[in-house]
Amino acid sequence: MAEARITGGCQCGAMRYEARSLKDNSHVCHCRMCQKASGNFFAALVGVPLEDFAWTRGTPAAFRSSEHVERGFCRDCGTPLFFRHDRNQHISMTIGSFDNPAAIPLAFQLGMEGRLPQVDQLASLKDYGTTEDADPDGTAAIRKTTRQHPDHDTAVWPAEVDA
Amino acid sequence: MSEIRITGGCQCGAVRYALHEQPDGAHICHCRMCQKAFGSFFAPFIGVEQSAFELTRGELSVFKSSDPTERGFCNRCGTPLTIHDRHSSRIGVSIGSLDEPEKFEPVSQCGIESRMSWFGQLAALPGDKTTEEDNPDFTAKIAASNHQHPDHDTAVWPPPGT
Repeated sequence: MAEARITGGCQCGAMRYEARSLKDNSHVCHCRMCQKASGNFFAALVGVPLEDFAWTRGTPAAFRSSEHVERGFCRDCGTPLFFRHDRNQHISMTIGSFDNPAAIPLAFQLGMEGRLPQVDQLASLKDYGTTEDADPDGTAAIRKTTRQHPDHDTAVWPAEVDA
Repeated sequence: MSEIRITGGCQCGAVRYALHEQPDGAHICHCRMCQKAFGSFFAPFIGVEQSAFELTRGELSVFKSSDPTERGFCNRCGTPLTIHDRHSSRIGVSIGSLDEPEKFEPVSQCGIESRMSWFGQLAALPGDKTTEEDNPDFTAKIAASNHQHPDHDTAVWPPPGT
């Protein structure tokens, strides 16, 4: 059987990682610390056993948000990358930083004391369609000049610029 | 007339900002660039005119994710904070970085090409526990050593002696 290799990284590509397995604990945490750390309504995380995890490019920065918890990110682009409790035998990666987050369905939610009322409305928000439909010119300009790392590993990054 | 002052900042408190007009256009963007920049399924933004955005502590670090777009964050803790399109007079702030995010309800969503297929089920995920119910010991330890900036401005941060 081929070994699973699940990859991810930050937006700019300075940090890349691989996981050979995932725990079955994919979840969103609504606690206020996860909210502020991720600038979002919640953090979406899934655990990777430490023995199945490796950084394949770069060394992430980390903020110790409390005595036993480190939150890792890319210092070059800011992408929130992980939550790690010193005593856990796993590292919890942000699901959106995986190259294929759609393959990691959520199992549960927690941190309910911080759950924002907006979460209940999210699915019924007015829908402006795809990025391209909403703004074709803007989308073309982004596509032409994107500096986001592709959703797969690369041998060299940033891509070498044609002279 | 009282002056509008809506505050926010990053997790560690090195970067703090104030909005001096009522922000609007709150939305979530599902596009793959916002997903990866936030490490999440979408990014939630609300906007003001740039002239109404004041950095009150520290500096934004900026990643230019494409020629038109600058994404601001804190390089001490990583919190995603702002988005700015060079053709726009406005700046967006991440709703989760506001000190009172519950007051800013999104009205629309975009970037639907990358929306998770199960997005509609998100609110109904199993689970009803608070952090404390889930893990009381852990919660007590966090409370005793919390390094997150409080959800209001502070004269001095971090507190002296820490």
